[in-house]
Amino acid sequence: MTKVVVDPLTRIEGHLRVSTEVDDNGVITDAQSSGMLFRGIERIMMKRDPRDAARLVQRICGLCPTAQSMASVNALDDLFGVAESIPKDALVTRNIIQGLNTLTSHATHFYVLWMPDIVNPAYRDILATVDNTGPALWKELLSRFAPISYKMDGEAITPGAGYINAIKQKKNLEEAMALIGGKMPHQMSTIAGGVTYLPTVADIGKLTSYYLNLMDFVNTSTLSVGAETWLDNTFRASSPQKAVNFVMEHLQEVVDGSLASQNFSKAKGWGDLELFAAFGSELIGETLGLPATFKFDRTGQYAEDANVGYLTYGVFYDVENGDGYNPTEFGKSGFQQAAFINSSLEKKSFNHEYITEETTHAFYETDEGLHPFDGVTEPVRTADEISYEGGSDSKYTWMKAPRYNGIPCEVGPISRMLAMGEPLTVGLMNLFKDNGYSAANSFTRMIAKMQETLILSEQLLKWVTVDLDPNGKYYVDTDLKMAKDSEGIGLWEAPRGALGHWIKSGSDSMVTNFQMVVPTTWNASPRDKNGVAGPLEQALIGTKISAAENMMGIDNTNPTGILHTARSFDPCIACAVHTIDLSNKDKEQGTFTIV
Amino acid sequence: MEKTEKQDFLSMDRRTFLKVVGAIGASTFLGLHRTQITKALELSKTKVIWLHGAECTGCSASLLDAGNPDIMQAINKLSVDLVFHETIMAHQGIFVDGAPAGTSELNSEILLDEAIEEGDYILVVEGAIANGPDGSGKYCMYGERTFKDMFEKAASNASMIMAVGMCAAFGGINSADSDIADLTDFRGVDFVKESHSKGMLTELGIDKPVINIAGCPSHPDWVLLTLAAVILGKFSLNDLDSVLDKYKRPTVFFPETNTMHDNCPRRGYYDRGILDDDFSGEGCLLKVGCKGPYTRSDCGLRKWNNGVSMCTQAGSSCIGCAEPGFPDSTSPFYEMGEDKPLMGGVTIDTAAKVGTAAAVAGVGVHALRRFVFKDKEE
Repeated sequence: MTKVVVDPLTRIEGHLRVSTEVDDNGVITDAQSSGMLFRGIERIMMKRDPRDAARLVQRICGLCPTAQSMASVNALDDLFGVAESIPKDALVTRNIIQGLNTLTSHATHFYVLWMPDIVNPAYRDILATVDNTGPALWKELLSRFAPISYKMDGEAITPGAGYINAIKQKKNLEEAMALIGGKMPHQMSTIAGGVTYLPTVADIGKLTSYYLNLMDFVNTSTLSVGAETWLDNTFRASSPQKAVNFVMEHLQEVVDGSLASQNFSKAKGWGDLELFAAFGSELIGETLGLPATFKFDRTGQYAEDANVGYLTYGVFYDVENGDGYNPTEFGKSGFQQAAFINSSLEKKSFNHEYITEETTHAFYETDEGLHPFDGVTEPVRTADEISYEGGSDSKYTWMKAPRYNGIPCEVGPISRMLAMGEPLTVGLMNLFKDNGYSAANSFTRMIAKMQETLILSEQLLKWVTVDLDPNGKYYVDTDLKMAKDSEGIGLWEAPRGALGHWIKSGSDSMVTNFQMVVPTTWNASPRDKNGVAGPLEQALIGTKISAAENMMGIDNTNPTGILHTARSFDPCIACAVHTIDLSNKDKEQGTFTIV
Repeated sequence: MEKTEKQDFLSMDRRTFLKVVGAIGASTFLGLHRTQITKALELSKTKVIWLHGAECTGCSASLLDAGNPDIMQAINKLSVDLVFHETIMAHQGIFVDGAPAGTSELNSEILLDEAIEEGDYILVVEGAIANGPDGSGKYCMYGERTFKDMFEKAASNASMIMAVGMCAAFGGINSADSDIADLTDFRGVDFVKESHSKGMLTELGIDKPVINIAGCPSHPDWVLLTLAAVILGKFSLNDLDSVLDKYKRPTVFFPETNTMHDNCPRRGYYDRGILDDDFSGEGCLLKVGCKGPYTRSDCGLRKWNNGVSMCTQAGSSCIGCAEPGFPDSTSPFYEMGEDKPLMGGVTIDTAAKVGTAAAVAGVGVHALRRFVFKDKEE
């Protein structure tokens, strides 16, 4: 038994440690996921003017600050009692800002954070065993996905074109966001009561131009068939099976047109997504008759699908219904709806009251599973109590363990796509399930993310060109007194998953409790009081440590299995490590029961 | 152009600097120094180690949004060897049975230790440094050590340190008032809020040249142009006082005699006494809490995201994110800072009243402006 620890896991946001035990067959038999930082932002919100939340809480994350500000303004709209009168055009503006943030985050994750793993030297070695095809493919991958400051065998590698262009796209999209949000990161426009910026007719033109710039990148780099054709045949397919069939037929065509010539260039139909889709999956690669596969569908899969659910709070306002939204019914209508999806992929209605957080294995004093409105947690106060070495039975992280009805849940693009009934994602997950794979794995996580990127870009154009009215109303006035003795729920989706803020205020309208349950707390959750591991931990246990299923032998010094899996959850640790109100520590322990 | 080439841009006055950079683009500006760059290239690359403490990665995200120059131009033209940067590097920390595994080409911890050992690098710090609990630093760890230890080692061997963003420079949001602030005890590199004595370098007894790039996040131009100035030797590290203010911010970006308010796109409304009462108008945002008059930054001229916009242009009051006391000194963000003394000892309340009165009287308030901002802190 070998202890293999990745610390820090880079190319994510924040400090994540993944500690595993690996047996002699290269199988991960135990895993702990640890958040390594304690900032106390929720505590900082205490006794402050609640309106500051939308600015301050955004400082939790520089990659998805917009989502944090949105969850906050949702909670504030509720706290101030104005949610039902937020003007429609303010809601459209918020949708556009969030849409842009999600696109930016997804593009950055795919190209800059995740894909550099595909040029790990382990794959060079594996591909070298495949005559002709292997080296040609390796050359293509390096030219697209090599990160900056990368060296192999002492040789500096030129950064990949896809990598560099994705950074340019990030910049393009952040400029679009700045246009209506003031600046990025940490946009300034979303505020309790609406938004501060009143877009002009000219802005609609400019936003459209930023959009077209994005689509140029997508259509020349990401996909060889073009986004519209792809969505017509997948997202708008009449059944999941038809969506999968389209993708398989398209990939087969690309493969047939290039395998003989060993040419994997864009000219031969290999967009970045086609490359990933064909070579990333063992199941798909074998069907297509490819001589090499990275087997990402074998990493990050759940040993027991039954132990994990999929959760989404829903995101984007239903702007077609005019002004206002209902905070307690959020996600019931609109573009991406709330849902809990069980391990059999059955969709259930979502109720925020089922959410609890536990701290048995986190560095806090209490260990009760309480609803966020009533959460009571106290961080350990001495250095001796902070140790990451104790294993699964100890405390080992600053992340709490959120549970929905007692179940650990994966959040993120997969959950949102399942809730939408998105044909390609559903079809692929069923395909994997029917063939003895876990429906969720590193491969399906990445495909769902790219599919969402394409779907959302199209939707964005509708908000910009159809729904946004420059002559509309963008703000309803709020007065601090309106927040007296109140409470607010703010549900939303960050690019990496379900994000909720819960806020309470006292007789002076100042904050008395502020709670955040964030995506990475869900995904990288530690064990709960019953010893049930969080999704990332479960996705590691039972999988192999080395590249392409230990094909070249077990190499614990290059644990690609951990890298692919952990990064496939797009972790954001700064969001995930936080604490709550100490001043309420004498409060009676919660009596919340799970139905 | 030749004239420009000879100018030391961090010691230029701000307007000249912005005019030059704005007119020709910073990448061209860097191109003008090709001779010096070529010399630098012949010698060696400038190594940069970029560490992340308690932060949100917003400053790195902001850096990727850089336009003048963009990040690749900066790296190529300035011959920067970005040795270590957690968010974008190919490597990661790997430990097998407790020992660092493999080589520096895959293992970031080995890479980092080797680079620190070699010395001769600029250390960029993004994020605050935990000192708690009880000086242990264990509220922020990675690579099987506390960030405090890592910082100590990296700072000791660095040629100089750039603290990028509010967390690294002044503690930022990590050091904001709360009933656990003493427990977590987050420190900036050389300051905590306005206090130099509480900076982590003082705590550790390390003396190094430090430049603080304020802002939450920092503007990419502020970071890259300062880095360029350091690499091109545009000023002496032994004489930083001439280009920095007392909080060690480059005065060219954080001018001592001007505030954001002076160049605010909504400044005209202030001058006419048109002060909005809520966020649905186009007037001056002073009464809804704008901290522009307290904030020394060139946001109003430079703007953000390649010059697209900035906070007040988008109708949002400035929250003073470039001031050392942020966020405590500028919050509540949406209330007028009536009890805060402005430069020259006038309160903002007085200024607003005079501004309104002046508009009513049909008198321009430029005289008021000169009065209010006549002197910097006395």
